[in-house]
Amino acid sequence: MIIAVTFIFLFMTGRLFVVQVVGGGALQEKAVDQWTRELPVKAERGLILDASGNVLAGNAESFAVFVRPRCVTDKEKVADALSRTFSIDEQALLKKLGDADRSEMTVARRVDKKTVEKLNELDLAGVYYSTDNSRVYPYDDLLWSVIGITASDGSGIYGLEKYYDKYLRGIDGEFLYEADLVGKDIDGKTPSYVAASDGLSIKLNIDLEIQLIAEAAVDNAYITYTPKSASVIVLDPSTGGIAALASAPRYSLNDPPKDDVEFFNKAIRSPVIVDAYEPGSTFKTVTAAANVQEYLSGNPAAFSPDHVFDSNRYRVVGGRQIKCWSTHANGKHANERLQEALNNSCNPCFVDIALALKKQTMYGYIENLGYGKVTGVDFPGEASGMLVPMSSVTDGDLARISFGQTIAVTPIQLACSTAAIINGGTYYAPYFAKEVVNSSGETVEVFPKRAVTRVISEEASKIMRGYLEQVVAVGSGNKAYIEGYRVGGKTGTAQKYENGVIASGKYVMSFIGFFPANEPKYLALCVVDEPVGGQYGSTVAAPVVKEVFEKIIKVKKIKKQ
Amino acid sequence: MAEFFNGRFLSYDKKKDGALAVVVILLALFGVVAVYSASNYNAAADFGSPYYFAAKQALGVAIGLIAMFITAHIDYHRYFKLALPLIVVGLVFLALVFVPGLSVEVYGAKRWIDLKLFTVQPSEMAKFFLVVFIAAYFAEKPERARGFLSLLPVLAVGGATCLLIIIEPNMSVTVCVGAVTVVMIFAAGVKLKVLAAIGAPVVAAVPLLIIAEPYRLKRLSAFLDPWESPQGEGYQLLQSLYGLASGGLFGVGLFNSRQKFRFLPFSESDFILSVIGEEIGFFGTAILFAAMFFVIMRGFKAAFSARDYFGYLLAVGITSVYAVQVMINTLVVTGSIPPTGLPLPLVSAGNTSIIIFMAAFGVLINVSGGGSDDGLSLRKKPTLKTLD
Repeated sequence: MIIAVTFIFLFMTGRLFVVQVVGGGALQEKAVDQWTRELPVKAERGLILDASGNVLAGNAESFAVFVRPRCVTDKEKVADALSRTFSIDEQALLKKLGDADRSEMTVARRVDKKTVEKLNELDLAGVYYSTDNSRVYPYDDLLWSVIGITASDGSGIYGLEKYYDKYLRGIDGEFLYEADLVGKDIDGKTPSYVAASDGLSIKLNIDLEIQLIAEAAVDNAYITYTPKSASVIVLDPSTGGIAALASAPRYSLNDPPKDDVEFFNKAIRSPVIVDAYEPGSTFKTVTAAANVQEYLSGNPAAFSPDHVFDSNRYRVVGGRQIKCWSTHANGKHANERLQEALNNSCNPCFVDIALALKKQTMYGYIENLGYGKVTGVDFPGEASGMLVPMSSVTDGDLARISFGQTIAVTPIQLACSTAAIINGGTYYAPYFAKEVVNSSGETVEVFPKRAVTRVISEEASKIMRGYLEQVVAVGSGNKAYIEGYRVGGKTGTAQKYENGVIASGKYVMSFIGFFPANEPKYLALCVVDEPVGGQYGSTVAAPVVKEVFEKIIKVKKIKKQ
Repeated sequence: MAEFFNGRFLSYDKKKDGALAVVVILLALFGVVAVYSASNYNAAADFGSPYYFAAKQALGVAIGLIAMFITAHIDYHRYFKLALPLIVVGLVFLALVFVPGLSVEVYGAKRWIDLKLFTVQPSEMAKFFLVVFIAAYFAEKPERARGFLSLLPVLAVGGATCLLIIIEPNMSVTVCVGAVTVVMIFAAGVKLKVLAAIGAPVVAAVPLLIIAEPYRLKRLSAFLDPWESPQGEGYQLLQSLYGLASGGLFGVGLFNSRQKFRFLPFSESDFILSVIGEEIGFFGTAILFAAMFFVIMRGFKAAFSARDYFGYLLAVGITSVYAVQVMINTLVVTGSIPPTGLPLPLVSAGNTSIIIFMAAFGVLINVSGGGSDDGLSLRKKPTLKTLD
């Protein structure tokens, strides 16, 4: 019996040692966790700034009001005061206050300081307040679909708010106090305070002035042509920095149309980054650049600048006829060299180039210029467009790709590709954010421009700039011509397909332009989806880019050349 | 076994075990402090005074000290004749629990009777009355332990006591009473074959008892995996382990328990050991274990050196009531066996328990002293058969 008792006591002591000492750590952590209650102290979300520091997304001081039912001493008084302040049903609130299972409930969010001060004077036991910063967008609908929005908890859920959330959100602090099982705080225990560390601000390449210009221009086009959407992207071709990205229609970021979820999900998409379209003639810049570079590199298949293309309207490829958009009647599109082919945007010439260079060479350029893959822009949900894989591309496909059909691109892909062609031949990844700034305004991180690959040589690029300047000076892009300034560009008009067949009367009109043509600083692409009225990119989109450039010249006080 | 005890019964003028008395009193006083620490928050919140439980416990210890002093000086042989009346009283009190108007129902169990001035828990008394009965029964004719039929009265009375307690319901005390009965029968020298024959149905009854009350099954599964329902059945055990774990080697300091802030249910009664472990750590608790072990060993010493067979069985019985309860409580609190509600004797809050245990230890001390009267009781001694 003594042996049995001794054995059991040894077991008891051993077991005690195991529980208290050996396995103690993990259990202890859980215990500490249940002893403390925390009141969150919201970190202030970082700002989103334009290139010169204008606030595009900021914060307003606001509070969350919440109740711990178990700590409420006078339920009627609390229910009465809260229901009147926030116009909620008093009876329902009273019922919730009586629910012992609820340890905490939020009564209202984004409450302004005055209301909280008033409530605080009533000295309601069991009612608590915590800072709950709310997002404010001073320019309301500016950069709609780019900035994105935040959720009710303050985290970014779309656009740049989402992409840079880890910088912007900061680290919430907390007010820790020790409480008993039901949440009553224990007298004599000092609460601990962990300060919130505020979020970092993001400084964008976006230039508020240019953004305003772009939005005004886009709005004009939207009013004039009532398209499904109209957008303009302006970037610095020498860096890939996005100076403006405007689209219409736009909605208020402060009061986004969230009621209809389906509508909202469509509206918040940025068409420039997440929607692919068949570009049409603007893509001829790729084919032309390929030819110029191949010619300079001595590829005998490439055409010399003096080569005169066959004036026939038709080409037969793979047994199927491909024709030019122009009838070629009355001497139109006759005796074209590459310059005239670009000026006239003559399809058969580009078919000749693509077929002459063959698919390996063409795909080398197409892929180097970023098609078929994402650009890597700092934005969530970027689309990669559609490019027939080289292994399965037919001559017919290649012929159509040469003038921008049988391929789908995003506007930002086209803008970056064109930028590489005219900036001296380097492909830069586009980017919105250039710096991370702390709350005292110091730069803590810089996002430099990112050269992805060299696409064509300086010389080839220079030749392309000359060609495209001529397109605006004397060719189909003349609606973008500005007296005294060297503007280059290319138009595009693509028919839309619906269920695999061409939809009559439905076009995507576009124009890509840049200036000054000798040393491009601004590159703008305008895309108008299904305009009503105008038929060509030259008439619908080129004037938009012209308007943007003219206003940039004005606000940036750029002198005539 | 008979030969083993022969000769020892001759020394009539032994000294009472003073060390045992001191340790028992220290444990009881420590209990008052522990009860205060474990209950002051709840007591202040629910009863308006942090001393609510502690004061009751102090009163219990005071009465217990008096009771212990008295029983230590009453010749234990006097209980020999009282054995039958005592067990009858014990059974009647157990039955009174079910009388409407007298019974106090707590958590769906009828374990207390309301005597207007105070409430008592009859099962606390009945355990010891049963011990006295069994001791007297075997002491009267030691050969009763040898036969099977002669065991039946013990089994019947023990069974009746268990039955009345199990329908309260109070499984843990039932197990305790059953275990003590078996220990005493064993100590009386029963043949192992017979013991096995008695033990088998008892062991077989355990699953039935578990199935009878669904909460026991839940507790069993909660014991096997408390994390499955940390807010439900597993809650109590987890909270107990949290407390112990927070204590570590040296504890968080007396009165500094955090688990007592309502996290640990029954912190001042069944789970007081968890609060103690949290406050004085492994080392402190190990010292407490040592004290409890000392009490049990001295109890057995008193038994083996008892003057006669009645004293021997009485000491074994009292000591095993204490030992069984200490061990079950400790194993429950450390999560070694499925949770069951049993206080830590001498330490946990509970008036009836502390008074009766202290009185019982008084009897044990009297046994250790050979049963001399010290002038407090009548001089007349019953004639007892000693073993030969």
